Amino acid sequence: MSILELFKTVYASLTRHIIRALLATLGIVLGIAAVVAMLAISEGGKRGIIDQIKAQGINNIILKSVKPETSSDPKMDKRRISSYGITQKDYHHISTTFSHIEQIVPIQAFDTGVYSGQNRTDIFVLSTERTLFEIINCTLADSRSKPFPGENNGIFLPSCYLGVEAARKLFGHRDPLNQDVGIGRYSFRVIGLLEGDGQGRIGGSHNINNVIYIPLSMANTIWGRSRSVAYDYLYIRVKEVEHVSELVARLKSYLSVTHVNVDYELQVPYELMRAAEKTQRIFTLVMTSIAAISLLVGGIGIMNIMLANIFERTREIGIRRALGATRRDILLQFLAESIVLTFFGGALGIGVGILTAYGAEALAKWNGDLTIHAIITPESLFVSLAVSVITGLTFGTYPAWKAARLDPLIALRHE
Amino acid sequence: MIELLKLSKQYHAGGVTIDALRPTSLVIPQGAFLTVMGPSGSGKSTLLNLFGLLVHPTTGAYKLNGKEVSSLSDDETSHVRNQTIGMVFQSFNLLSHLTCLENVCLPMQYARDRHATMKARGRALLDQLGLQGRYDSKPTQLSGGQCQRVAIARALANEPPVILADEPTGNLDEQTGLEVMQIFSDLHRAGKTIILVTHNPSYETYATHRITIHDGNVTFKNEKSPSHPA
Repeated sequence: MSILELFKTVYASLTRHIIRALLATLGIVLGIAAVVAMLAISEGGKRGIIDQIKAQGINNIILKSVKPETSSDPKMDKRRISSYGITQKDYHHISTTFSHIEQIVPIQAFDTGVYSGQNRTDIFVLSTERTLFEIINCTLADSRSKPFPGENNGIFLPSCYLGVEAARKLFGHRDPLNQDVGIGRYSFRVIGLLEGDGQGRIGGSHNINNVIYIPLSMANTIWGRSRSVAYDYLYIRVKEVEHVSELVARLKSYLSVTHVNVDYELQVPYELMRAAEKTQRIFTLVMTSIAAISLLVGGIGIMNIMLANIFERTREIGIRRALGATRRDILLQFLAESIVLTFFGGALGIGVGILTAYGAEALAKWNGDLTIHAIITPESLFVSLAVSVITGLTFGTYPAWKAARLDPLIALRHE
Repeated sequence: MIELLKLSKQYHAGGVTIDALRPTSLVIPQGAFLTVMGPSGSGKSTLLNLFGLLVHPTTGAYKLNGKEVSSLSDDETSHVRNQTIGMVFQSFNLLSHLTCLENVCLPMQYARDRHATMKARGRALLDQLGLQGRYDSKPTQLSGGQCQRVAIARALANEPPVILADEPTGNLDEQTGLEVMQIFSDLHRAGKTIILVTHNPSYETYATHRITIHDGNVTFKNEKSPSHPA
């Protein structure tokens, strides 16, 4: 029997019981839908998380000051709280004695409110040095920007750089350059605009575009005495990414001696990324197992319906054999039926899966969660379709083999 | 030419051996019209199924056009059924979900004929049997007589030299039965070997050779009986 004749035969058989064919493929439809949705969401999640981590800079190590946990001794408590975290001594030690460091920049954070008119904004104030902008991959958003001030000698005019988002919040569509921004009791002149990857976060929490950057030297002059932490963050850029882990190990051993009370935290985007990738792999594995189970159930459904189908059509098999069909002809006919069923089940499942993935994204967005993204790759669709056909082949073989082995005469006499 | 050499068939059921066909030797020349008569359960169907290669004989040899066919492989047997034998059944055995034309084309599909050739021949056969315009009807839309004519067209699809018919008029009224018998008579005149199992003694008038079976024993009915090798 030619391929064309085979498919005509299959079409004629399957269209006899449309509802039954649809119900038979329901397991496959749901299984493939699960596979497609899972692949789309995990792909979106993977890109989201990994992009976010990459935006921190894969070559960077971030040392963060952390307020130590309160101890039972009130005297100790007070001393600790009066000063903790990364010290100037740490900064100097690390920058002078550690190798493989390309750049190292201290950052201070201020929770001073920034007001736009009467309203307090969520803009954050950081003091730092110019080199930070390279480390976090920020560029000047306005060519008229003046250089970011370094060491100040004597009298200075308080000045700052604005992230583009902070500028938009404070000035809307007006030109922010040379405007003044009130920070605490001081007024700072905007001398530059910065823009970076919107995914980037200082210390993992402050959007780099939603920050006012003031020079470290000015901040020290103005607020230096009132601070209990010398530096909130130390950004370290490693020359080669291969040396990140080595440097992290050295930092850990140094800090474990100098900061016994663990008033610091190390953020290593490179390691975070590797951890995220590992988590992603586990997630994918778990989801794949779930999809595999639903496909197994779907496959058993196909096998079940094909066995019933063959029992019901025993006489047809007998007639075909009497007219000269070989075992191979019968085997191919029923195998083709299973494959056509699962192929269309798979195609339907892909449709349902795409809808599910985008539906999940829309639902999450509606709930204010922007972390779920569905990304449908052509490979995932190809894999899904291949998997459904393989399911048909796997679970259709036994029924088809059984049909082919029927004794022609017994089949012919079957009522 | 069909030759049976001490062909027998035994069935085993529940520890009892049943001789469905006792050793029978028989030669049916090409172009013969053989009727097989006998009461129910006498072994008529067994004999026909042996002719049709649907069962394997217990002993003996079956030669079809000089070729031993009882010990062929399953694939070879399928091929012989497809090319050499056309079968007509009492209950028509048409596939109800296919059209008349598709039913007629089935044996040609298994002979791997070209699609166009197949359709043309299928239509010609249906025309020949007086079923013009019923190509796309389903068997359920046809009368019993029409169904049997579709089944005969199907049996003729690959131009087999031998037609086996198992009580082909059993489900038809007398008049329609006679029409169907006329078709077999015409086929016989066209050179086909016809083997017809029937309950109706009047059909013996169409035959060139007649046998009856009782409890698996074949007897030749008259002087026109098939030649009997020693």
